[in-house]
Amino acid sequence: MGSTLILVLVVIAGFSFDFTNGFHDTANAMATSIATGALKPKVAVILSAVLNFAGAFISISVAATIAKGIVSPKVLVGGDGLELVLAALIGAMTWNLITWYFTIPSSSSHALIGGVIGATIVATASSDVNWHNLVQTVIVPAILSPFICAGVAALGTYMAYRLIRRLGQKEARTGYRYGQICSASLVSLAHGTNDAQKTMGVISLALIAHGDISAVNFSVPLWVKLGCALSIALGTASGGWRIINTMGNRITNVESPQGFAAESSSAAVILASSYYGYPLSTTQVVSGGVLGAGLGKKVDSVHWNVIGQMLSAWVLTMPGAGVLGGLAWAIADLFGAHANAGAIVICLLAAAGAFGLWTLAQRNKITPEDLDRTNVSVVEEAELAGVPPAVAAA
Amino acid sequence: MAILATAYINWSALWKIVLVSLIAGAGVVIVFGFLLLGVKIANNAKSGGREWAGYVLSGICGFFCLAVVAAGIYAILNKPVSKKPAPKKTAAALIAPSYKSTT
Repeated sequence: MGSTLILVLVVIAGFSFDFTNGFHDTANAMATSIATGALKPKVAVILSAVLNFAGAFISISVAATIAKGIVSPKVLVGGDGLELVLAALIGAMTWNLITWYFTIPSSSSHALIGGVIGATIVATASSDVNWHNLVQTVIVPAILSPFICAGVAALGTYMAYRLIRRLGQKEARTGYRYGQICSASLVSLAHGTNDAQKTMGVISLALIAHGDISAVNFSVPLWVKLGCALSIALGTASGGWRIINTMGNRITNVESPQGFAAESSSAAVILASSYYGYPLSTTQVVSGGVLGAGLGKKVDSVHWNVIGQMLSAWVLTMPGAGVLGGLAWAIADLFGAHANAGAIVICLLAAAGAFGLWTLAQRNKITPEDLDRTNVSVVEEAELAGVPPAVAAA
Repeated sequence: MAILATAYINWSALWKIVLVSLIAGAGVVIVFGFLLLGVKIANNAKSGGREWAGYVLSGICGFFCLAVVAAGIYAILNKPVSKKPAPKKTAAALIAPSYKSTT
């Protein structure tokens, strides 16, 4: 049974990870709504925060934990289980902050899985990782899902623009702005459901390993549910403006029909996959949706250099978080029998790293005011997209 | 190559996901466009019949869109793992009964 101090650190790290998950992934749901001026940035993130909070309480089950069948269960509930979970959370959180600093959307869950795998390999052996399951349940979906969503979004966008010719620019774009709010809300709700519960599972596991709650007739304690829901909601409300900017403005110049197509396609792919038991990364799906929305209008409207950066981050997420998780474990392990000291040191190092990245990010800070497009009318949006003024006003 | 892929890809689930995504994703975008078209027809109508036709088109399309949203919420509430009977809870089983949709 691990020490109480390490358990407290795991809980704090779990809530902190949920916080980073919230601000890192707000972009998934709200970036296109902000980019098209459908919602003011602050209104968008508050709406997303409320839905993430609500989502955390829907369909509660221990199912939404981590790495099913990927890491041997005995590793996480063994004597060093608490330290290993702590190292994994620190690895994942640090990777989230690094990608946030570089303004690249990446999967928080892949980071968490990477952290667990990295810490497990360093702590025990690579034989404790089920590589086949890793490929089947994580890597293959990660490769396929953006393509599926991009295809669906491209088709939706193409058809939407054909309809706009009959509808008139002004009415269509106004209508699609309203539609975007609904589709983005659904993505936020799905995100809260999946991601907050994942951390609930991690913290509950730590509580079981510590002997605070029983593994028989198990239920997630209310304070854990509340803590995770609040953490992800607060993280979301704090607004990950840097990644919202990438998702909403840098992949392609999103217009309201494209935003609606991207969000609807993402919601459809995420929820269909969730229902049929096929795991996905919300970040990658939404990124695929935005890419598809760009392709559906005009192929050369997509900024391929940004796509290249995102692909690199996706490929590097699991290994990167794995290295950080493994490193965190290795540093903690240097203290040998003084496990408490090791745990405190890796937490302090992670906090210092987070502070350093935050300080660096202040140099080229992106504010909600920079992203606010609600003052851009639908007519101006159409004109900016190259539509002649007379047609845009029609 | 195909055999190798089959070992890793659940084709049965995949085609369902693609089909549902096409209907609910691209389908909603198209149907929502027709909803807007119906409103436009109704607003610009010079005769009562045309106005009604516009509203009927909008109503049908709006119903489809709402149905898709309802289906989405149903999917959130009824994840496959929630349907399974609860197994005997052991610490090992709690490690990760499922790796769900992620972010």
